[in-house]
Amino acid sequence: MYRKQIRRRRAVLVGLIVACLVLLSLSFSEARSGPIHSLQKGLATITAPISEGASVALKPARDLIGWFDDTFSAQGENDELVAELAATRAELARAQGAIEDNEELRDQLGLPTDGELGSYEPVTARVIGRSSTVWYSSVQIDTGSSAGLAVDDPVQTGDGLVGRISDVTATTSTISLITDPRNAVTAEVIDGDARAPWGVVEAEVGNPETLYLDFIENEAEVEKDQILITAGWSDGRLSSAYPPGIEIGRIENAEVGQGDFQEVEVRPFVDMRELEYVQVLTGGPDRGELVK
Amino acid sequence: MIVTRRIVLRIAAIVFFAVLLQTSFLSYLEVAGTIPDMLPVVVVCLGLLGGGVVGAVCGFATGLLVDAILLQTLGITSLALLSVGYLAGRYREGFEISNSLTPPLLAGGFTIVAATAFAVLQLMLGVDAAVSLLVVRDIFVQGLSAFVLAIAIYPLIRRTLRPALVEEGAGSRVLTEGRGARRRARRSARGPRIRRRVAT
Repeated sequence: MYRKQIRRRRAVLVGLIVACLVLLSLSFSEARSGPIHSLQKGLATITAPISEGASVALKPARDLIGWFDDTFSAQGENDELVAELAATRAELARAQGAIEDNEELRDQLGLPTDGELGSYEPVTARVIGRSSTVWYSSVQIDTGSSAGLAVDDPVQTGDGLVGRISDVTATTSTISLITDPRNAVTAEVIDGDARAPWGVVEAEVGNPETLYLDFIENEAEVEKDQILITAGWSDGRLSSAYPPGIEIGRIENAEVGQGDFQEVEVRPFVDMRELEYVQVLTGGPDRGELVK
Repeated sequence: MIVTRRIVLRIAAIVFFAVLLQTSFLSYLEVAGTIPDMLPVVVVCLGLLGGGVVGAVCGFATGLLVDAILLQTLGITSLALLSVGYLAGRYREGFEISNSLTPPLLAGGFTIVAATAFAVLQLMLGVDAAVSLLVVRDIFVQGLSAFVLAIAIYPLIRRTLRPALVEEGAGSRVLTEGRGARRRARRSARGPRIRRRVAT
């Protein structure tokens, strides 16, 4: 009798382990439209209203804890923000002049505006869930393909770039944040110079608060407090998933690296922990084959 | 544990509620730069109360649900959680839980095991990006927060599943703690109390 119990217990354990391995290999090998992915999306669609309800119901508790957290860090932040505001006012005046010049020159040259921020249609969505592991930096939102969202659509907030849509169901979507180690963004450093250096912003597993700007040559002039924006490049056939001009973050530290490139640390503008609402930029240009 | 249909429903409700609470609330909090994870704690508690098979099945189901809800790669979380659920259940089958600190300590330890297993699985599947040493700190802080969470979660789950729990006498093994259970166990060990009749 006891042996029979042990055999049954082992059979259950082996069965579950085999089921995990089958799911794992199917998740990797199967296409997005395959049966396992469809089943997963179906389950996500069914549970979405409950997740949304739970998110709304638990918001006061989250806000309460956030309030304590914010209160402790508010004094230090206030001094920093006052200094930042003065610098931003001066930058804004220069930028507005540059935008007008840019539009005028584009009209004169007849350049297309496809792929720029203006050609996207923003859709606002609420964050209803997020991953708790450092290996996936992703959040779930309450809007899906029925509202026009598609995989690889860029996502932003008023503060800057958030990430891109990595998976979509009819009523929900998953955003792969820029702090996800599997994400990379082509970025441009703003320094008021026409030949600003370009690099690739990447994250490191286990350190979601800091991004790294790679491929900036040692000779390039990059310094603390410079701002990074999406480069949004295109060569006609291939193009970046992100339109140009979305703010990413501020350079925290830049040092000459051991190889050909500098080691540049970037702090993102968006506080990924406090995401409540995001804006998905839908209906962008047909980019053909996308490069992140 | 006596697993009836009602108890299965209660366990399913516990798992579902835990996944919702984790994805909609706890994932937004940070303790020393790390997000506390209550899912391994719940699975370990279910394993400690129900045994190896219950722990493994609950771990598998919890992992599957969280991966499905967040559209993550299926199977990785399930594999890590079913391992700790099964190990916790085997512990309960082999050893006595005589101290109220044992479940939180086990939850903390098994959470570290689950997080390490998850990290190893991710590395085995291939990670293109650099891996920070902060991952190690993350694993240990998750273990500590699991210890604290288990102090509240274990009694709650135990109370929810109380009708299914088997109480044994003090002569063999005491599976439930608390002052009342210990008193009952001592009484049953002493045998029935005989009242002396006083002649008047």
